[in-house]
Amino acid sequence: MEEKIEDLYGYVQERCLWQFFSRTWDRQENIDGVLGKAEQILSGQQPTNETPLEKLHYADAVIMVKDFRERFPWIRECGAAEVKQLMDGLKTRLVETVITKSTNRELSHHLY
Amino acid sequence: MPMVLLECDKDIPERRKHIYLKAPNEDSREFLPIANAATIPGTLSERGCAFCGAKLVIGGVLKDTIQMIHGPLGCAYDTWHTKRYPTDNGHFNMKYVWSTDMKESHVVFGGEKRLEQSIHEAFNEMPEIKRMIVYTTCPTALIGDDIKAVVKKVMKERPDVDIFTVECPGFAGVSQSKGHHVLNIGWINEKVETLEKEITSPYTMNFIGDFNIQGDTQLLQTYWDRLGIQVIAHFTGNGTYDDLRCMHQAQLNVVNCARSSGYIANELKKRYGIPRLDIDSWGFNYMAEGIRKICAFFGIEDKGEALIADEYAKWKPKLDWYKERLKGTKMAIWTGGPRLWHWTKSVEDDLGIKVVAMSSKFGHEEDFEKVIARGQEGTYYIDDGNELEFFEIIDRVKPDVIFTGPRVGELVKKLHIPYVNGHAYHNGPYMGFEGFVNLARDTYNAVYNPLAHLAGIDIRNEIPAQLPERIREAA
Repeated sequence: MEEKIEDLYGYVQERCLWQFFSRTWDRQENIDGVLGKAEQILSGQQPTNETPLEKLHYADAVIMVKDFRERFPWIRECGAAEVKQLMDGLKTRLVETVITKSTNRELSHHLY
Repeated sequence: MPMVLLECDKDIPERRKHIYLKAPNEDSREFLPIANAATIPGTLSERGCAFCGAKLVIGGVLKDTIQMIHGPLGCAYDTWHTKRYPTDNGHFNMKYVWSTDMKESHVVFGGEKRLEQSIHEAFNEMPEIKRMIVYTTCPTALIGDDIKAVVKKVMKERPDVDIFTVECPGFAGVSQSKGHHVLNIGWINEKVETLEKEITSPYTMNFIGDFNIQGDTQLLQTYWDRLGIQVIAHFTGNGTYDDLRCMHQAQLNVVNCARSSGYIANELKKRYGIPRLDIDSWGFNYMAEGIRKICAFFGIEDKGEALIADEYAKWKPKLDWYKERLKGTKMAIWTGGPRLWHWTKSVEDDLGIKVVAMSSKFGHEEDFEKVIARGQEGTYYIDDGNELEFFEIIDRVKPDVIFTGPRVGELVKKLHIPYVNGHAYHNGPYMGFEGFVNLARDTYNAVYNPLAHLAGIDIRNEIPAQLPERIREAA
């Protein structure tokens, strides 16, 4: 499981700009939103996209999931429980890197 | 691998915190260069000033707006024509330059009357133009000229004009980055939602952080037209003043240059709930991904796939021709900030180029988080690099081509290393599918041009009979 999470983490670090938004709350919102949508798609659910932000997170997630399936074929065989574990693990890794242990001095400034 | 103290920096050891050499299994949690910090005394910075960041980068791009620079003449001249951002109305922004031409007497006795007179004169000379941005500069800020009061008076006298003020003198920040910030925040506070435009499509967006360098915006606009997406405002490539007043009407903010323009995207999200989508517009793979995301947002995926298929069919064979010949080329990127992370993977994936060193003039730590995540191991990541550091890094990494501005470009020419203009391009546009083929062509022409090699030969000595093998192969 750790190795699989590491694969996904490597992909997100290299490809996804949404993890690097300007402030901690933006980054957290994107990580939660995109990975939430990705979990739904990977589990075979059809995400409901009612708000503009949900539509945005879906747009990021659907491209990411397509790449996950191409680069890491093992993910196609994962059931809902394993998908959840993977996404939770990925979220933990991302939050640690781009929020809690980031040394970016602007992350918590209250103004943009 | 710790941060790096170069030999040339031995007397300014603080520079160690600004230069990183990426090693295996490291990431930005452990080593993140300090950025957007004051230049260290003793280092010859390549940075520009805050006023330049507002005027040259963002405001001066607009195609229908007088750029009134309240200061000495040089502030106007030095931020004019050094970037090539054409427009579809005859390049109004590049044909004219305006200044209040402050002299000693105006500094001593105040420059407000001079400014008022200059604003009237400019509008009288160009009666078809009704929009203006007024900028303070270092001297007019120091003497306390109240440009907002002057502008308020003029707008009362001329009800058909609209004027925006940017109070961002050169000394306001550590680099031009401060000017981006001031203009972004000033615009959202004062001008957004002061006008409404007609909505002509069910799909609307702002395209933010693209300045139509050599036609980037105009090339990408052909994609949005084919997809049926109405661009409410281009911030600011080929853009108009009034379009920017309507930014609140868009459903989506698409951001390319997050450094110069991320602020306004963040504020549009906070104040109007318009979501922000960051994309990379340089590179085949990235451009296709950006189009797919935009289309997924609007639910028009089929249109996006058709566009991408058309563009790939037309341009991919040309790209591959260059890729075959550029594979293994070592590139250095010494530009402003975002192009480091926009380009490092796109040239690697699309052209087989290895980026061996990157330096940012005004990037923030966020930019280094992005580029360290994307960049290769064994590559140098430098904040606010100086000339001596550039020479030492060149010795260490031996690049085949350097993407940088003309000033640094002149330096590397002396070492007979080809450079490509990474700010204003050699022969762009460089964005989009066609644009990346242009970038590949200019890179190929730079790397294989025998002139850089020939210029390095001292003709007082015996002239070698042959050119290097690589250049002979291309000939």
